Amino acid sequence: MVAIGLLALAYGFIAGLGGDRIVANLHLNSFYFTSLGLIGMFFVAVHAISESGWQVSMQRVGEAMSLFIPIGGIIMLLVFVFGGMHHLFEWTHTEHLDEILLGKVAYLNQPFFYVRFAVFFAGWTWLAWMIRKTSRELDINGDVKYFNKLRKYSAFYVVFLAVSSVISSWDWLMSIDAHWFSTLYGWYVFSSMLVTGFAVIVIFTYVLKRMGYMQHVNDEHIHDMGKYMFALSIFWAYLWFSQYMLIWYANIPEETIYFYERIKHFDTIFYVNLIVNFAIPFLLLMTRNSKRVSYVVVPVAVILFIGHWMDLYQLIMPGAVGYEAAGIGFLEIGVTIGFTGLFMLVTFFGLSKVPLVPKNHPFYEESLHYHTNY
Amino acid sequence: MNKSYITAYYTDDDDLLKGIRQLKEKGVEIIDVMTPFPVHGLDKAIGLRRSRLSRVAFWGGTVGALIGFFFQAWVFTEAYPLNFGGKPYLSVPSFMPVAFEMAVLFAAFSIVFAYLIYFKLTPGAKPVIHDERSTDDRFLVVVKAGEPGESASIERALSEAGAEGIKLKA
Amino acid sequence: MYVSPIREPLIRGEKDYSQVTKDILAPMAGKPTRYWYMGITLSSAALLFGAWATYMTMYYGIGTWGLNKTVGWGWDITNFVWWVGIGHAGTFISAILLLFRQKWRTSINRSAEAMTLIAVACAGFFPLIHMGRLVLGFFIFPYPNTRSLWVNFNSPLLWDVFAISTYLLVSLIFWYVGLIPDLGTVRDKATTKIRKAIYGFLSFGWTGSVRQWSRHETVSLILAGLAAPLVLSVHTIVSFDFATSVIPGWHTTIFPPYFVSGAVFSGFAMVLTLLIVARKALGLEEYITVNHIESMNKVIILTGSIVGIAYITEFFMAWYSGVEYEQYAFLNRAFGPYAWAYWIMMTCNVVTPQLFWFKKIRTSVVATFIISIFVNIGMWFERFVIVVTSLHRDFLPSSWVMYKPSLVEVGLYVGTLGLFFTLFLLFIRAFPVIAIAEVKSVLKSTGSFKKTAHHE
Repeated sequence: MVAIGLLALAYGFIAGLGGDRIVANLHLNSFYFTSLGLIGMFFVAVHAISESGWQVSMQRVGEAMSLFIPIGGIIMLLVFVFGGMHHLFEWTHTEHLDEILLGKVAYLNQPFFYVRFAVFFAGWTWLAWMIRKTSRELDINGDVKYFNKLRKYSAFYVVFLAVSSVISSWDWLMSIDAHWFSTLYGWYVFSSMLVTGFAVIVIFTYVLKRMGYMQHVNDEHIHDMGKYMFALSIFWAYLWFSQYMLIWYANIPEETIYFYERIKHFDTIFYVNLIVNFAIPFLLLMTRNSKRVSYVVVPVAVILFIGHWMDLYQLIMPGAVGYEAAGIGFLEIGVTIGFTGLFMLVTFFGLSKVPLVPKNHPFYEESLHYHTNY
Repeated sequence: MNKSYITAYYTDDDDLLKGIRQLKEKGVEIIDVMTPFPVHGLDKAIGLRRSRLSRVAFWGGTVGALIGFFFQAWVFTEAYPLNFGGKPYLSVPSFMPVAFEMAVLFAAFSIVFAYLIYFKLTPGAKPVIHDERSTDDRFLVVVKAGEPGESASIERALSEAGAEGIKLKA
Repeated sequence: MYVSPIREPLIRGEKDYSQVTKDILAPMAGKPTRYWYMGITLSSAALLFGAWATYMTMYYGIGTWGLNKTVGWGWDITNFVWWVGIGHAGTFISAILLLFRQKWRTSINRSAEAMTLIAVACAGFFPLIHMGRLVLGFFIFPYPNTRSLWVNFNSPLLWDVFAISTYLLVSLIFWYVGLIPDLGTVRDKATTKIRKAIYGFLSFGWTGSVRQWSRHETVSLILAGLAAPLVLSVHTIVSFDFATSVIPGWHTTIFPPYFVSGAVFSGFAMVLTLLIVARKALGLEEYITVNHIESMNKVIILTGSIVGIAYITEFFMAWYSGVEYEQYAFLNRAFGPYAWAYWIMMTCNVVTPQLFWFKKIRTSVVATFIISIFVNIGMWFERFVIVVTSLHRDFLPSSWVMYKPSLVEVGLYVGTLGLFFTLFLLFIRAFPVIAIAEVKSVLKSTGSFKKTAHHE
């Protein structure tokens, strides 16, 4: 799969599709899959600090996904350093900045940008590594003190991710449309990441089950993941609506230009985004039964995986590439497949390194016999 | 048909569940079970099918949303169009909040009223209380007494299944 | 279901079911204590003050208030949002914690929901009274009339009408449906004929039959599933009152989730304030344990931190946007004539909840009580800062004014506080403050005698 990705990249160069588009694709995908890794660990961390027990049977998947974080970071860095900055961000063209961009120079300048980049990735990589390490220690030696350590690092991770994901989304996504701003943006992107991250955990778990592992993951676990996907999709749609409706209602041109661009030139993707990421999960996952069966939950998870990629597309492409050059062609699909392959490689590698079943986790028994009334 | 019945109680919910399963195996007809709190697994043990109340809520909500949305649309396009900030008369985004609230209101009320009416739970309804401690700490089982000769064997079945306080009521 | 042995018990004292019934029904029996009488005297006095203020407003008009141009909203809307926010904790505990299967909610949900109902009633009072000509208040409802007039469905103020009404009604039926089985228990344990008759009437003929229970659970779950988005939507719509405008400091897309988090934050603080006192006064410390308080404090850290991140985001984005009016709005908040309010807000809302990261503070009942009071105060100031500082100095410097509440406005606020505490004290006497049946249903798995793992 990685090969296809590299091929698609090569095609992109040859076909002269323009540096903007190639860079934007690399940027989109490296961001997308890094965020999947981040949410994989978030899944582990947030359930650790809430002392919930049921997810223990699935937590290895989340831990393994987080291995991609530094890799995504390296790709992003390479893209930025090798000319990506000028293609993606108009504020890097310091020779002809207009009045508005000049006002933002204290924040939108390359040195500060790179410093923030380094802080985020260093923090994410180190905290994810500490959680993975403590989780393994807990498994080897079931002492409660390792569980408390796990909770401590999880708390740090959650707080750090909350703040850093907001700021990083400003840096890497919002500043592509540097004249525009929205205070909700960081949370909106985070909610999109949440849905996809949880959906991908479901997909991996299902694949592992089909391969014969993780037989202890039962209907109840699938039910809960289905509930998460349902509720988080609704939450994402709620944030989408909040941002859109408020800007629509006040009708202030410097804000509405953002949506105007998208509705005028990217309208298909803009509306399909809503249908795929809200209408489909809302309707398909509403009934209790549908949330308990893999043959509904997993396809919806795949649809969400594709759908939120499209969401990211309409966040990045209009500003980075513009409507004349943008499109969804072999370049986009190929590069995405390439990244998917890379991500799968890394995750399976991570899964193979640790016992899949955290037997010594204090809540493991609970997860094994997981059974609820509703 | 003989309208007499036998009541018996348990003091623990797990024992109740075990007992009910035993009684069902023996073919005893259970009229009702009264518990102070919902016992997990009891409805399956008795053989209750899945409730259709969720469908009531779904359709109630859908009706509410449609009424909410289309009423607003009618008011704003036909009955009393108002120019607010130059926005279109059929302003979909701003119709959402009211439509959503109507959906929730209709769904909630339809399911609660369906539930209360179905079980005849109305203000001042007079229930038949077999044992006042069934809302406190006793789990009451009410079974059919059958023909006059059978009641003894049913009573025996009940005591074998762990029930106490077995009483025949005519 | 298996329960891991490292979990702390949620119900202490090795209770059995009948003991649970006795403990929870005890506050309703006998004569009220001295403290109860003191409490209700104080709150009734406050209520009377509010009654006077209401009379003044209705008879003499909104001129008795301190509102002016450009501050058209002052204490009235601040109080409205504050009360609605407080109400959200009850629904959060009943509905959202139910969906997350957090068993610790069973000891606190009944009183939290009652608190929601009372808080929403107090909240609803303000939009009603601020109309001025309350006699024509029915205009806000869409009904066919001879003037061919319909309400403006595109106004957030009207969305509020629908949202608050729906919230009040749905919370009411959610609370009551949950209460019916417990009212059956009260009826069966009633010692006098009058009590038996009253609670018999109120319990709707509940018998505890397995069919009733099974469907009751279905209804509760679906109501929870409806109430959860309702909670989010109500405070979102309240935030739309501000965010749909063009006023700097008001028009910002983060308001919806930020307001919702703030609401849960202040609501939990009020629940803590009430229950810390109630558990001591009513002898229910074994049901509302330090564990419950700790869990509520964790929700406070979470929502308080979200509010803090929102503050930083708003502040940063005001600078980043380059819009001078937005920038000034925030500079004015921090350094202008209402800076004292702003810094109270920051200290109470951002600093104090972070103290709960320390386990010692999180598990200290006294510290929690003090911090909960600070959070309540801080969140009042947050709404005050948002409403007044944005209005008193917006685009045109020649229109800048100052705002000060009049005695009548203060009276209305104090009156709602009086209403709140009066109704809550009455609630304690008339209804069981803890959900009896729900606590019994988790007694085995979370009670203090679960030495061995229970497997079904």
